[in-house]
Amino acid sequence: MTCASAAVAQSGRAAGTPPDIGGVYQPISNATALSGGLKNAGFLSDLPLTPAAVQQMKNVDLKEDPFKKCQPLGPFRMMARPDTKIELLPEPGMIVMLFEDLEHGVMRTIYTKRGHKEKLDTTWMGDSVGHWEGDTLIVDTIGFNTDTWLNDTGAQHSEALHLTERIRPVLSGKYLEYKMTAEDPKVLAKPYTYTRYYEKLKTEIMEDVCADEE
Amino acid sequence: MRTTRAGMTTIKIAVIAILAGWVLAGIGIADSKDNQQTAPPDWTGFYTLARARDLAGTNLKPVAPDYDLDKLIVAHLQPWARAKMQVTDGTADDTGAVCKADGIFRFPPFAGRFLWLSAPGKIVMVFGEINTAGVKRIYLNRDHRKNLLPTWNGDSVGHWEGDTLVVDTIGFNSKSWLMSGMEPHTEETRLSERIRRLTAGNSTFLEVVAVVEDRLALTSAYTFTRYYKKVDAEMPENICNEDLSLWKGWRNGALKRQFDRAKEVK
Repeated sequence: MTCASAAVAQSGRAAGTPPDIGGVYQPISNATALSGGLKNAGFLSDLPLTPAAVQQMKNVDLKEDPFKKCQPLGPFRMMARPDTKIELLPEPGMIVMLFEDLEHGVMRTIYTKRGHKEKLDTTWMGDSVGHWEGDTLIVDTIGFNTDTWLNDTGAQHSEALHLTERIRPVLSGKYLEYKMTAEDPKVLAKPYTYTRYYEKLKTEIMEDVCADEE
Repeated sequence: MRTTRAGMTTIKIAVIAILAGWVLAGIGIADSKDNQQTAPPDWTGFYTLARARDLAGTNLKPVAPDYDLDKLIVAHLQPWARAKMQVTDGTADDTGAVCKADGIFRFPPFAGRFLWLSAPGKIVMVFGEINTAGVKRIYLNRDHRKNLLPTWNGDSVGHWEGDTLVVDTIGFNSKSWLMSGMEPHTEETRLSERIRRLTAGNSTFLEVVAVVEDRLALTSAYTFTRYYKKVDAEMPENICNEDLSLWKGWRNGALKRQFDRAKEVK
Protein backbone atom coordinates (compact mmCIF):
# COMPACT_ATOMS: atom_id res chain seq x y z
CA MET A 1 0.00 0.00 0.00
CA THR A 2 1.43 3.40 -0.95
CA CYS A 3 1.61 6.29 1.49
CA ALA A 4 -1.11 8.12 -0.43
CA SER A 5 -3.48 5.14 -0.39
CA ALA A 6 -2.73 4.51 3.27
CA ALA A 7 -3.65 8.09 4.06
CA VAL A 8 -6.91 7.75 2.14
CA ALA A 9 -7.71 4.50 3.93
CA GLN A 10 -6.98 6.04 7.31
CA SER A 11 -9.14 9.10 6.60
CA GLY A 12 -12.18 7.01 5.74
CA ARG A 13 -12.56 8.84 2.44
CA ALA A 14 -13.56 6.95 -0.66
CA ALA A 15 -10.64 6.17 -2.93
CA GLY A 16 -10.01 8.98 -5.42
CA THR A 17 -11.64 11.60 -3.19
CA PRO A 18 -9.32 14.51 -2.44
CA PRO A 19 -8.88 15.54 1.18
CA ASP A 20 -10.91 18.47 2.48
CA ILE A 21 -8.36 21.23 3.00
CA GLY A 22 -10.96 23.92 3.70
CA GLY A 23 -10.31 26.09 6.71
CA VAL A 24 -8.23 28.85 8.19
CA TYR A 25 -4.45 28.40 8.43
CA GLN A 26 -1.42 30.28 9.66
CA PRO A 27 2.27 29.44 9.09
CA ILE A 28 4.31 28.04 11.97
CA SER A 29 7.30 30.01 13.14
CA ASN A 30 10.65 29.32 11.50
CA ALA A 31 11.96 28.19 14.90
CA THR A 32 9.34 25.47 15.28
CA ALA A 33 9.97 21.83 14.44
CA LEU A 34 6.90 19.63 14.08
CA SER A 35 6.72 15.93 14.71
CA GLY A 36 9.01 14.07 12.34
CA GLY A 37 11.34 17.05 12.10
CA LEU A 38 9.10 19.00 9.71
CA LYS A 39 10.32 22.62 9.54
CA ASN A 40 9.98 25.66 7.35
CA ALA A 41 12.82 25.83 4.82
CA GLY A 42 14.03 28.35 2.29
CA PHE A 43 14.11 32.08 2.92
CA LEU A 44 13.73 34.61 0.18
CA SER A 45 16.96 36.41 0.99
CA ASP A 46 18.90 33.56 -0.67
CA LEU A 47 17.27 33.55 -4.10
CA PRO A 48 19.63 32.29 -6.84
CA LEU A 49 19.45 35.52 -8.87
CA THR A 50 21.37 35.96 -12.11
CA PRO A 51 24.08 38.65 -12.07
CA ALA A 52 21.86 40.95 -14.08
CA ALA A 53 18.99 40.43 -11.66
CA VAL A 54 21.28 41.21 -8.72
CA GLN A 55 22.28 44.48 -10.36
CA GLN A 56 18.66 45.30 -11.12
CA MET A 57 17.76 44.69 -7.48
CA LYS A 58 20.44 47.09 -6.28
CA ASN A 59 18.91 49.85 -8.37
CA VAL A 60 15.40 49.42 -6.97
CA ASP A 61 14.01 52.17 -4.76
CA LEU A 62 12.83 50.34 -1.66
CA LYS A 63 10.33 53.14 -0.98
CA GLU A 64 8.38 51.79 -3.95
CA ASP A 65 7.90 48.42 -2.25
CA PRO A 66 4.33 47.28 -2.94
CA PHE A 67 4.17 46.20 0.71
CA LYS A 68 4.62 49.80 1.86
CA LYS A 69 1.95 50.99 -0.57
CA CYS A 70 -0.66 48.41 0.49
CA GLN A 71 -0.49 46.78 -2.92
CA PRO A 72 -0.56 43.04 -3.69
CA LEU A 73 2.64 41.12 -3.04
CA GLY A 74 1.87 38.19 -5.32
CA PRO A 75 1.69 34.53 -4.30
CA PHE A 76 5.44 33.83 -4.21
CA ARG A 77 6.28 36.52 -1.67
CA MET A 78 3.00 36.40 0.23
CA MET A 79 2.97 32.69 1.03
CA ALA A 80 6.49 32.92 2.50
CA ARG A 81 5.58 35.64 4.98
CA PRO A 82 5.45 34.57 8.66
CA ASP A 83 2.19 36.38 9.38
CA THR A 84 0.11 35.26 6.40
CA LYS A 85 -3.22 33.90 7.60
CA ILE A 86 -5.20 32.25 4.81
CA GLU A 87 -8.68 30.84 4.33
CA LEU A 88 -9.16 28.00 1.85
CA LEU A 89 -12.62 27.52 0.39
CA PRO A 90 -12.98 24.41 -1.79
CA GLU A 91 -15.88 24.89 -4.21
CA PRO A 92 -17.08 23.02 -7.29
CA GLY A 93 -14.46 23.54 -9.96
CA MET A 94 -12.20 25.78 -7.90
CA ILE A 95 -10.46 26.41 -4.65
CA VAL A 96 -10.55 30.01 -3.46
CA MET A 97 -7.77 31.31 -1.23
CA LEU A 98 -8.45 34.44 0.77
CA PHE A 99 -6.06 36.35 2.99
CA GLU A 100 -6.66 38.12 6.28
CA ASP A 101 -4.17 40.73 5.03
CA LEU A 102 -6.50 41.53 2.19
CA GLU A 103 -4.61 44.31 0.43
CA HIS A 104 -1.34 42.39 0.29
CA GLY A 105 -2.71 38.93 -0.40
CA VAL A 106 -6.00 39.81 -2.15
CA MET A 107 -7.47 36.51 -3.36
CA ARG A 108 -6.48 33.59 -5.53
CA THR A 109 -8.76 31.32 -7.46
CA ILE A 110 -7.31 27.93 -8.34
CA TYR A 111 -9.35 26.40 -11.11
CA THR A 112 -9.50 22.62 -10.91
CA LYS A 113 -11.55 21.82 -14.02
CA ARG A 114 -9.60 23.59 -16.72
CA GLY A 115 -6.09 24.21 -17.99
CA HIS A 116 -4.51 27.58 -18.61
CA LYS A 117 -6.36 29.82 -21.02
CA GLU A 118 -4.73 30.17 -24.42
CA LYS A 119 -4.83 33.96 -24.31
CA LEU A 120 -3.83 35.24 -20.92
CA ASP A 121 -3.82 38.82 -19.78
CA THR A 122 -1.04 39.32 -17.26
CA THR A 123 -2.34 39.95 -13.76
CA TRP A 124 -1.06 40.48 -10.23
CA MET A 125 -2.04 36.95 -9.13
CA GLY A 126 -1.48 35.12 -12.41
CA ASP A 127 -3.69 32.32 -13.69
CA SER A 128 -3.76 29.28 -11.40
CA VAL A 129 -4.92 25.81 -12.31
CA GLY A 130 -4.76 22.79 -10.06
CA HIS A 131 -5.25 19.06 -9.91
CA TRP A 132 -4.99 16.40 -7.24
CA GLU A 133 -2.38 13.66 -7.16
CA GLY A 134 -3.53 11.51 -4.28
CA ASP A 135 -3.50 13.77 -1.25
CA THR A 136 -1.48 16.51 -2.88
CA LEU A 137 -2.91 19.52 -4.67
CA ILE A 138 -0.59 20.58 -7.48
CA VAL A 139 -1.06 24.19 -8.56
CA ASP A 140 0.49 25.71 -11.66
CA THR A 141 0.49 29.49 -12.08
CA ILE A 142 1.61 31.62 -15.00
CA GLY A 143 0.54 34.93 -16.51
CA PHE A 144 2.02 37.35 -13.98
CA ASN A 145 2.49 41.06 -14.54
CA THR A 146 5.74 42.58 -13.30
CA ASP A 147 4.26 44.76 -10.56
CA THR A 148 5.23 42.44 -7.71
CA TRP A 149 8.62 41.71 -6.18
CA LEU A 150 10.14 38.36 -5.31
CA ASN A 151 11.34 39.48 -1.89
CA ASP A 152 11.67 42.38 0.57
CA THR A 153 14.98 43.58 -0.91
CA GLY A 154 13.58 44.38 -4.33
CA ALA A 155 14.34 41.28 -6.40
CA GLN A 156 12.28 41.62 -9.56
CA HIS A 157 10.71 38.99 -11.78
CA SER A 158 9.58 38.92 -15.38
CA GLU A 159 6.33 37.90 -17.04
CA ALA A 160 7.97 34.50 -17.52
CA LEU A 161 7.60 33.74 -13.81
CA HIS A 162 6.18 30.24 -13.36
CA LEU A 163 5.09 28.98 -9.96
CA THR A 164 4.42 25.39 -8.95
CA GLU A 165 2.86 24.68 -5.57
CA ARG A 166 2.40 21.35 -3.84
CA ILE A 167 -0.07 21.45 -0.98
CA ARG A 168 -1.05 18.49 1.19
CA PRO A 169 -2.39 17.89 4.68
CA VAL A 170 0.06 16.32 7.14
CA LEU A 171 -0.03 15.18 10.74
CA SER A 172 -3.66 14.06 10.58
CA GLY A 173 -4.71 17.23 8.80
CA LYS A 174 -3.61 19.56 11.56
CA TYR A 175 -1.13 21.19 9.19
CA LEU A 176 -0.69 21.86 5.52
CA GLU A 177 2.66 21.23 3.96
CA TYR A 178 3.17 23.94 1.38
CA LYS A 179 6.00 23.77 -1.16
CA MET A 180 6.45 26.66 -3.57
CA THR A 181 8.80 26.47 -6.56
CA ALA A 182 9.58 29.49 -8.71
CA GLU A 183 11.13 29.42 -12.17
CA ASP A 184 12.02 32.52 -14.15
CA PRO A 185 14.91 32.01 -16.58
CA LYS A 186 15.22 35.78 -17.04
CA VAL A 187 15.91 36.35 -13.34
CA LEU A 188 16.67 33.09 -11.54
CA ALA A 189 19.78 31.06 -12.32
CA LYS A 190 17.87 27.92 -11.33
CA PRO A 191 14.46 27.03 -9.89
CA TYR A 192 13.98 27.97 -6.27
CA THR A 193 11.85 26.12 -3.71
CA TYR A 194 10.74 27.01 -0.24
CA THR A 195 8.62 25.03 2.23
CA ARG A 196 6.20 26.31 4.82
CA TYR A 197 3.94 24.49 7.26
CA TYR A 198 0.57 26.08 7.88
CA GLU A 199 -1.30 25.19 11.07
CA LYS A 200 -5.05 24.73 10.86
CA LEU A 201 -6.83 27.14 13.19
CA LYS A 202 -10.26 27.25 14.75
CA THR A 203 -10.39 31.04 14.65
CA GLU A 204 -12.12 33.27 12.14
CA ILE A 205 -10.48 35.51 9.59
CA MET A 206 -10.74 39.08 10.91
CA GLU A 207 -10.90 42.32 8.99
CA ASP A 208 -7.37 43.69 8.53
CA VAL A 209 -7.10 46.94 6.60
CA CYS A 210 -3.64 48.04 5.49
CA ALA A 211 -2.42 51.48 6.55
CA ASP A 212 0.17 52.69 4.09
CA GLU A 213 3.39 54.18 5.43
CA GLU A 214 3.47 57.98 5.47
CA MET B 1 -75.14 -7.39 6.83
CA ARG B 2 -73.09 -9.01 9.54
CA THR B 3 -69.24 -9.00 9.25
CA THR B 4 -67.56 -12.36 9.53
CA ARG B 5 -64.60 -13.02 11.88
CA ALA B 6 -62.27 -13.14 8.85
CA GLY B 7 -63.74 -9.89 7.65
CA MET B 8 -63.13 -8.25 11.06
CA THR B 9 -59.53 -9.42 10.96
CA THR B 10 -59.15 -7.94 7.51
CA ILE B 11 -60.61 -4.63 8.72
CA LYS B 12 -58.25 -4.58 11.72
CA ILE B 13 -55.27 -5.24 9.49
CA ALA B 14 -56.39 -2.48 7.14
CA VAL B 15 -56.80 0.02 10.01
CA ILE B 16 -53.38 -0.87 11.39
CA ALA B 17 -51.89 -0.47 7.92
CA ILE B 18 -53.52 2.93 7.51
CA LEU B 19 -52.29 4.09 10.91
CA ALA B 20 -48.81 2.81 10.14
CA GLY B 21 -48.86 4.68 6.86
CA TRP B 22 -49.74 7.93 8.60
CA VAL B 23 -46.91 7.46 11.09
CA LEU B 24 -44.39 6.66 8.36
CA ALA B 25 -45.59 9.59 6.29
CA GLY B 26 -45.15 11.83 9.32
CA ILE B 27 -41.60 10.60 9.70
CA GLY B 28 -41.03 11.30 5.99
CA ILE B 29 -42.25 14.90 6.30
CA ALA B 30 -40.10 15.44 9.40
CA ASP B 31 -37.12 13.97 7.57
CA SER B 32 -37.78 16.33 4.73
CA LYS B 33 -37.79 19.32 7.10
CA ASP B 34 -34.68 18.05 8.85
CA ASN B 35 -33.02 17.63 5.49
CA GLN B 36 -33.91 21.18 4.55
CA GLN B 37 -32.47 22.46 7.82
CA THR B 38 -29.20 20.53 7.53
CA ALA B 39 -28.67 21.03 3.78
CA PRO B 40 -29.17 24.71 2.95
CA PRO B 41 -29.38 25.71 -0.69
CA ASP B 42 -26.07 25.95 -2.52
CA TRP B 43 -26.00 29.26 -4.37
CA THR B 44 -22.29 29.12 -5.20
CA GLY B 45 -21.43 31.20 -8.24
CA PHE B 46 -20.53 34.54 -9.74
CA TYR B 47 -23.23 37.22 -9.65
CA THR B 48 -23.39 40.71 -11.13
CA LEU B 49 -25.86 43.54 -10.51
CA ALA B 50 -28.81 43.05 -12.84
CA ARG B 51 -29.34 45.97 -15.20
CA ALA B 52 -32.54 46.95 -16.96
CA ARG B 53 -31.69 44.72 -19.92
CA ASP B 54 -31.19 41.73 -17.60
CA LEU B 55 -34.58 42.27 -15.98
CA ALA B 56 -36.51 42.91 -19.20
CA GLY B 57 -39.32 40.43 -19.58
CA THR B 58 -39.37 39.58 -15.88
CA ASN B 59 -41.53 40.99 -13.12
CA LEU B 60 -38.48 41.81 -11.01
CA LYS B 61 -38.28 45.51 -10.14
CA PRO B 62 -35.49 46.95 -7.97
CA VAL B 63 -36.62 49.41 -5.32
CA ALA B 64 -34.66 52.69 -5.38
CA PRO B 65 -32.34 51.69 -8.22
CA ASP B 66 -29.20 53.59 -9.20
CA TYR B 67 -29.08 57.19 -7.96
CA ASP B 68 -32.63 56.93 -6.58
CA LEU B 69 -30.97 55.32 -3.59
CA ASP B 70 -29.06 58.54 -2.87
CA LYS B 71 -32.32 60.49 -2.86
CA LEU B 72 -33.95 57.95 -0.60
CA ILE B 73 -31.09 58.06 1.90
CA VAL B 74 -30.85 61.86 1.96
CA ALA B 75 -34.57 62.05 2.69
CA HIS B 76 -33.94 59.99 5.85
CA LEU B 77 -30.85 61.83 7.15
CA GLN B 78 -30.88 63.60 10.48
CA PRO B 79 -30.05 67.34 10.17
CA TRP B 80 -26.50 66.88 11.52
CA ALA B 81 -25.86 64.10 9.05
CA ARG B 82 -27.11 66.20 6.17
CA ALA B 83 -24.85 69.06 7.29
CA LYS B 84 -21.87 66.74 7.48
CA MET B 85 -22.63 65.43 4.00
CA GLN B 86 -22.63 68.98 2.63
CA VAL B 87 -19.15 69.74 3.96
CA THR B 88 -17.61 66.44 2.89
CA ASP B 89 -15.37 66.62 -0.14
CA GLY B 90 -16.54 63.97 -2.56
CA THR B 91 -13.16 63.59 -4.20
CA ALA B 92 -10.47 63.95 -1.60
CA ASP B 93 -12.46 62.32 1.20
CA ASP B 94 -13.39 59.28 -0.84
CA THR B 95 -11.28 56.42 0.48
CA GLY B 96 -12.51 54.24 -2.36
CA ALA B 97 -11.09 56.63 -4.94
CA VAL B 98 -7.59 55.82 -3.66
CA CYS B 99 -8.17 52.09 -3.45
CA LYS B 100 -8.76 51.88 0.27
CA ALA B 101 -11.63 50.24 2.07
CA ASP B 102 -14.91 52.08 1.69
CA GLY B 103 -17.34 49.60 3.20
CA ILE B 104 -20.18 47.54 1.75
CA PHE B 105 -22.90 50.15 1.37
CA ARG B 106 -21.65 51.73 -1.85
CA PHE B 107 -20.27 49.28 -4.37
CA PRO B 108 -22.66 46.31 -3.97
CA PRO B 109 -25.94 48.18 -4.48
CA PHE B 110 -24.59 50.43 -7.25
CA ALA B 111 -22.35 48.28 -9.46
CA GLY B 112 -21.88 45.14 -7.43
CA ARG B 113 -20.50 41.81 -8.46
CA PHE B 114 -19.38 39.06 -6.19
CA LEU B 115 -18.50 35.42 -5.77
CA TRP B 116 -20.98 33.65 -3.50
CA LEU B 117 -19.15 30.81 -1.76
CA SER B 118 -20.53 28.23 0.65
CA ALA B 119 -18.51 26.66 3.44
CA PRO B 120 -19.43 24.78 6.63
CA GLY B 121 -21.08 27.25 8.98
CA LYS B 122 -20.74 30.29 6.76
CA ILE B 123 -21.26 31.96 3.47
CA VAL B 124 -18.49 34.10 2.02
CA MET B 125 -19.18 36.91 -0.43
CA VAL B 126 -16.04 38.07 -2.21
CA PHE B 127 -16.71 41.39 -3.93
CA GLY B 128 -15.25 42.11 -7.34
CA GLU B 129 -13.96 45.44 -6.09
CA ILE B 130 -12.01 43.60 -3.46
CA ASN B 131 -9.73 46.49 -2.45
CA THR B 132 -12.66 48.67 -1.46
CA ALA B 133 -15.63 46.43 -0.65
CA GLY B 134 -13.53 43.48 0.51
CA VAL B 135 -15.14 40.31 1.78
CA LYS B 136 -18.36 39.72 3.68
CA ARG B 137 -18.52 36.57 5.80
CA ILE B 138 -21.98 35.54 6.98
CA TYR B 139 -21.71 33.15 9.92
CA LEU B 140 -24.53 30.65 10.19
CA ASN B 141 -23.37 28.88 13.33
CA ARG B 142 -23.15 31.72 15.82
CA ASP B 143 -24.68 34.96 17.01
CA HIS B 144 -22.91 38.32 16.95
CA ARG B 145 -19.71 38.34 18.93
CA LYS B 146 -19.76 40.28 22.18
CA ASN B 147 -17.57 43.39 22.42
CA LEU B 148 -17.41 43.88 18.67
CA LEU B 149 -14.68 46.14 17.43
CA PRO B 150 -16.11 48.40 14.71
CA THR B 151 -14.99 47.41 11.25
CA TRP B 152 -15.62 48.57 7.68
CA ASN B 153 -17.84 45.60 6.82
CA GLY B 154 -19.30 44.83 10.25
CA ASP B 155 -20.14 41.43 11.71
CA SER B 156 -22.70 39.38 9.76
CA VAL B 157 -24.72 36.44 11.05
CA GLY B 158 -27.44 34.60 9.20
CA HIS B 159 -30.03 31.86 9.35
CA TRP B 160 -32.36 30.19 6.91
CA GLU B 161 -36.10 30.70 6.91
CA GLY B 162 -37.16 28.17 4.33
CA ASP B 163 -35.56 29.25 1.09
CA THR B 164 -34.64 32.72 2.36
CA LEU B 165 -31.35 33.65 3.97
CA VAL B 166 -31.89 36.26 6.66
CA VAL B 167 -28.73 38.26 7.43
CA ASP B 168 -28.11 40.70 10.25
CA THR B 169 -25.03 42.94 10.22
CA ILE B 170 -23.87 45.25 12.99
CA GLY B 171 -20.52 46.45 14.24
CA PHE B 172 -19.78 48.96 11.49
CA ASN B 173 -17.27 51.73 11.94
CA SER B 174 -18.42 55.24 11.04
CA LYS B 175 -15.87 55.82 8.28
CA SER B 176 -17.86 54.68 5.26
CA TRP B 177 -20.65 56.43 3.42
CA LEU B 178 -24.11 55.02 2.85
CA MET B 179 -23.77 55.79 -0.87
CA SER B 180 -21.59 57.78 -3.23
CA GLY B 181 -23.43 60.96 -2.24
CA MET B 182 -21.27 61.05 0.90
CA GLU B 183 -24.13 60.27 3.27
CA PRO B 184 -22.63 59.54 6.69
CA HIS B 185 -23.64 56.92 9.19
CA THR B 186 -22.61 55.99 12.72
CA GLU B 187 -21.54 52.85 14.56
CA GLU B 188 -25.24 52.33 15.35
CA THR B 189 -25.96 51.27 11.78
CA ARG B 190 -27.74 47.96 11.33
CA LEU B 191 -28.14 46.27 7.95
CA SER B 192 -30.87 43.62 7.70
CA GLU B 193 -31.13 41.60 4.50
CA ARG B 194 -33.46 38.94 3.19
CA ILE B 195 -31.87 37.06 0.30
CA ARG B 196 -33.47 34.46 -1.90
CA ARG B 197 -32.75 32.92 -5.24
CA LEU B 198 -35.23 33.27 -8.07
CA THR B 199 -35.52 32.06 -11.60
CA ALA B 200 -36.99 34.52 -14.07
CA GLY B 201 -36.87 34.19 -17.81
CA ASN B 202 -33.88 32.01 -18.53
CA SER B 203 -31.78 33.46 -15.73
CA THR B 204 -31.11 32.91 -12.07
CA PHE B 205 -31.10 35.89 -9.74
CA LEU B 206 -30.41 36.62 -6.12
CA GLU B 207 -32.97 39.03 -4.70
CA VAL B 208 -31.68 41.15 -1.80
CA VAL B 209 -34.17 43.16 0.21
CA ALA B 210 -32.14 45.44 2.47
CA VAL B 211 -33.22 47.55 5.43
CA VAL B 212 -30.78 50.11 6.86
CA GLU B 213 -31.32 51.53 10.34
CA ASP B 214 -29.26 54.04 12.28
CA ARG B 215 -30.95 55.63 15.26
CA LEU B 216 -28.36 58.43 15.35
CA ALA B 217 -27.92 59.27 11.66
CA LEU B 218 -31.36 58.48 10.22
CA THR B 219 -34.83 59.73 11.07
CA SER B 220 -36.15 56.28 10.17
CA ALA B 221 -35.04 53.12 8.38
CA TYR B 222 -34.96 52.95 4.61
CA THR B 223 -35.45 49.93 2.40
CA PHE B 224 -34.19 49.08 -1.06
CA THR B 225 -34.11 45.98 -3.27
CA ARG B 226 -31.49 44.74 -5.69
CA TYR B 227 -31.25 41.81 -8.09
CA TYR B 228 -27.99 40.08 -8.96
CA LYS B 229 -27.82 37.83 -11.99
CA LYS B 230 -25.86 34.61 -11.89
CA VAL B 231 -23.25 34.65 -14.62
CA ASP B 232 -21.60 31.61 -16.13
CA ALA B 233 -18.13 33.10 -16.06
CA GLU B 234 -15.09 33.50 -13.86
CA MET B 235 -14.86 36.62 -11.74
CA PRO B 236 -11.91 38.53 -13.24
CA GLU B 237 -9.11 40.00 -11.17
CA ASN B 238 -9.77 43.65 -10.37
CA ILE B 239 -6.95 45.21 -8.39
CA CYS B 240 -7.30 48.90 -7.69
CA ASN B 241 -3.94 50.62 -8.05
CA GLU B 242 -4.28 54.40 -7.93
CA ASP B 243 -1.21 56.47 -7.18
CA LEU B 244 -1.56 56.87 -3.45
CA SER B 245 0.80 59.86 -3.39
CA LEU B 246 -2.01 61.88 -4.95
CA TRP B 247 -4.07 61.18 -1.84
CA LYS B 248 -1.93 63.37 0.35
CA GLY B 249 -2.22 66.37 -1.92
CA TRP B 250 -5.98 66.01 -2.29
CA ARG B 251 -6.45 65.45 1.40
CA ASN B 252 -4.60 68.61 2.46
CA GLY B 253 -6.55 70.74 0.04
CA ALA B 254 -9.83 69.18 1.03
CA LEU B 255 -9.24 69.68 4.72
CA LYS B 256 -8.80 73.38 4.15
CA ARG B 257 -11.94 73.54 2.01
CA GLN B 258 -13.95 71.63 4.63
CA PHE B 259 -12.82 73.99 7.36
CA ASP B 260 -13.83 77.03 5.30
CA ARG B 261 -17.14 75.45 4.28
CA ALA B 262 -18.04 74.39 7.83
CA LYS B 263 -18.15 78.03 8.83
CA GLU B 264 -20.90 78.62 6.29
CA VAL B 265 -23.15 75.57 6.93
CA LYS B 266 -26.00 76.30 9.36
